[in-house]
Amino acid sequence: MNRTLSIILRRTVSLLITLTVMSLIIFLLVEIMPGDVAQMILGQSATEEAVSALREARGLNDPVMERYFRWVGGVLTGDLGESIYMKGVTINSILWRRVGHSLVLALSAFILFVPLSIILGVLAGVKENKPTDSIISFLGLATMALPEFVSGVFLITIFGVQLNWFPIVSIIPIGESLFNNLEILFLPALSITFVMFGYVSRMQRSSMIQVMNSDYIRAAILKGMNRKYVIFRHALKNALLPTITIIGMNMGWLFGGLVVVETLFGFPGMGSLLMTAIKTRDVPLIEACVLLITVIFSLSTMITDVLYSYLNPRVRFQGGQR
Amino acid sequence: MKYFFYQMKKHPLSIVGISVLLLWILIAIFGPQLTSFTHTAMDAEHQMTAPGEFGHLFGTDSMGRDIMSRIIYGSRSILTVALMTSIFSTIIGILLGFTAGYFSGKIDAAFLRTMDILMAIPPLVLSMVVLGILGDSSILSLTLIVSIAFIPATARVSRGVLLTEKSQEYVSAARIRGESHFYIMFIEILPNTTGPIIVEATARFAYSIMMVASLGFLGVGLQPPTPDWGMMVIENKPIIAQAPWAVLFPALAIASLVIAISIFSDFVSKVLIHER
Repeated sequence: MNRTLSIILRRTVSLLITLTVMSLIIFLLVEIMPGDVAQMILGQSATEEAVSALREARGLNDPVMERYFRWVGGVLTGDLGESIYMKGVTINSILWRRVGHSLVLALSAFILFVPLSIILGVLAGVKENKPTDSIISFLGLATMALPEFVSGVFLITIFGVQLNWFPIVSIIPIGESLFNNLEILFLPALSITFVMFGYVSRMQRSSMIQVMNSDYIRAAILKGMNRKYVIFRHALKNALLPTITIIGMNMGWLFGGLVVVETLFGFPGMGSLLMTAIKTRDVPLIEACVLLITVIFSLSTMITDVLYSYLNPRVRFQGGQR
Repeated sequence: MKYFFYQMKKHPLSIVGISVLLLWILIAIFGPQLTSFTHTAMDAEHQMTAPGEFGHLFGTDSMGRDIMSRIIYGSRSILTVALMTSIFSTIIGILLGFTAGYFSGKIDAAFLRTMDILMAIPPLVLSMVVLGILGDSSILSLTLIVSIAFIPATARVSRGVLLTEKSQEYVSAARIRGESHFYIMFIEILPNTTGPIIVEATARFAYSIMMVASLGFLGVGLQPPTPDWGMMVIENKPIIAQAPWAVLFPALAIASLVIAISIFSDFVSKVLIHER
């Protein structure tokens, strides 16, 4: 348990450092961005005086560092500022709803791909080099290689256009919640599943093969134990560890995938919000989104680490090889 | 080389992958000679022409532009950027990873910290934000930004490879001979690590294609009029019900290229890693 605590502590410290550096980089990057924020708020027809008055009122003429610390102070007190593009709308009022949607989408993808890839990975590993394995392995290689929007487009063509089973755009009607429109989740979640399936099932397959060839499993099978029992009770337990790591390592792809999938389907999540923010050059919104993605991403890596150390007695008791 | 062909015979799938990859490279080189249409010409009379009609083999999009010639021209930019990205990020990765792993101590710790920070943002999100903010992506800026996003991964691999070699006797021998650090790192150790590094670089090539295609799809890749496969998909998505070919052909182009490269890199890793 001590080990778990030290992981959490070390990760939190490194998250804080990371966030500080990240926020600085984003802030400076936005500084060199072409275009004037005040001009953008007022539009192209604004007079010279109006623009400079607004710059003064918003404190845009202050030195960079002063503005940075003002922004950090706001973030720390929970004030993310106002959107530029959607005039007068606070970021807090749009961001959190979108984050919720994205988390639901990510979770649905998780529910689909984790069991699916573990089961098929185990199956391929047990039937090594037999036709079942070849088919599953090729499927894994092919789906892994496809960017989310490519598999998404194929899914749209089949399930949306040809069969007409699911909507091809994921728009929630105004005034309704996501939970009344669950059918819009299916195709986006399936597109994410495709990519993740490749990584996870391949990992599961190779770790299963490794475990199945180990002495204790061969001994168990040779002494006549039920093969299914050995596979599921003895082998799977040990073969799951690398899979957990690979799921954690691929959280980055999952987040990138969310942006792509949300853009493809017009799904109202955090990724499509970030995309809109970039297209409309909505600086405070970009900063808020990136900050939040960094936090969520780091947290998920931390959870994977803790889970791994908790499940692996070797790491838990001896301090491991990290 | 003989061993390479022998392995190819043993893995029939690799032949398919390598042929498709070679085909795309040929298409990219000889592209303009292959089509009778230009990639930018709009034809108001033949909008959303179905494949095969009026000489448009893959049909046309909503502005009457020939899909096939746009795919052919698009193959040039995506292959160029992806190839440069994988080479560039591998070289920088070797330089950084080797230096960190070789000198260890404070340099290594600083290296690991920096990589942790870079890795705290998903690579795709990092590049789309930077490219989006800078605007007007060119082949150069695209290559540069995507390479930077990939450096943590490549540098970590190089560092790991170096660490396994560092304790070998020939390294101590070189050190006792009084060779310079640079000589030991790049003349003594590097040639012994080509296997894993080439495997990583070919895998990186596949990732680069995925990444560049995704960035194009998000609209922060190469800007029009340069045709971009990813952008063609999102541009034509609104007409997917009326003209599915306008979306499906660029998507198939991406799919075939990435799968071919993945099979190729899978094959390379089988040949180079397992022969030891």
